[in-house]
Amino acid sequence: MYDVLIIGGGAAGMTAAIYASRKKLNTLVLEHEKGGQTALQPEIWNYPGYTDLNGAKLLDVFRKQATDFGAEVRSFVAEKIQLEKNEEDKEFFILENKDGEKIKAKSVILAMGAKPRKLGVPGEEEFSNKGVTYCATCDAPLFSGKDVVVVGAGNTALDAAMQLTKYADKIYILVRGEVKGDPITYEKLKKESKVEFVFNAETKEIKGDQFVTSLIYKDKESNEDKELKVSGVFVSIGSIPNTDFLGDFCEKNQFGQIVINPRTNATSKAGIFAAGDVTDIEERQAVIAAGEGAKAALQCYKWLKSNH
Amino acid sequence: MAKVTIYSTPACVYCKMAKEFLNENKIEYTDFNVAEDEKAREEMVEKSGQMGVPVIFVDNEMMVGFDGERLKELLKL
Repeated sequence: MYDVLIIGGGAAGMTAAIYASRKKLNTLVLEHEKGGQTALQPEIWNYPGYTDLNGAKLLDVFRKQATDFGAEVRSFVAEKIQLEKNEEDKEFFILENKDGEKIKAKSVILAMGAKPRKLGVPGEEEFSNKGVTYCATCDAPLFSGKDVVVVGAGNTALDAAMQLTKYADKIYILVRGEVKGDPITYEKLKKESKVEFVFNAETKEIKGDQFVTSLIYKDKESNEDKELKVSGVFVSIGSIPNTDFLGDFCEKNQFGQIVINPRTNATSKAGIFAAGDVTDIEERQAVIAAGEGAKAALQCYKWLKSNH
Repeated sequence: MAKVTIYSTPACVYCKMAKEFLNENKIEYTDFNVAEDEKAREEMVEKSGQMGVPVIFVDNEMMVGFDGERLKELLKL
């Protein structure tokens, strides 16, 4: 039986593992996608202490720190979580994967992160990996010499556009409301001759034959439908939390994010803590996820001391 | 032994995961960096009908993205 199971190996989960293992808690990290969302960022400029950082490398260091202090890490996709009682009436948690393998622990830190939100328009599914992509870091080089569109205007979208300037001929950025990404990136993009911002644009459909050939959007000012001839559609319109397997095991808000006490990272279920992008915190940043992971682990340690 | 080919880009974390998986299981493979190698990029798109990396071929079986369980099956591990 583990003292604590940490679900997710991103910035929040691995930091929780560092703190938990330094408290000598018997710690296991269950990893689904190595390094989480941070590892998808080839360049990070706002992580304190580093001026130019590769996300995957950063998370490799997090992971090494965690395992050096004694945390175990393994690949395991949880499908189910249950609460049981032992003979002494002590509660413990059981995680189960699709093969029915079970792992037991006295406490759990949920740090599953989030995945890209989809547009939900016709053509999106059909042309997924045929021009529609959610990972600019992975797929930007495939669009060398092509015209592409980035849908969204948060930091992820602006970073995607920035990466694409190295490869694509023309980059449209489709903005529905206002630009929410950092002004420093926004200013840079405005100076790029291949970048064109399209405002008040609501994506309606993605069209193509074998691959994407165009995107249709509604110009909300004129109420007309317009078409952009592009071969790539980079969707960056925010994220949705990876909480499917939880069901209603602990409280979630209307977005599916786990509701936590912001002081203690406690969820609605005693012994279950949560940290990072999977929770209802406001800001989605690697440095914040790391801090949240540390908080969750320290609170979890206190809880274990008084309850086990 | 099965012929394994992977089409990848350098910054792609799923590509790295796939290659680490192959290395850990001591599987030999040919890696094409499609960010640089234009010919390989065209070949990948033509053979797979996909515009997303990684694309992995185990003999004639194709996998897009990285799914460790499926790759294990394809490699009969």
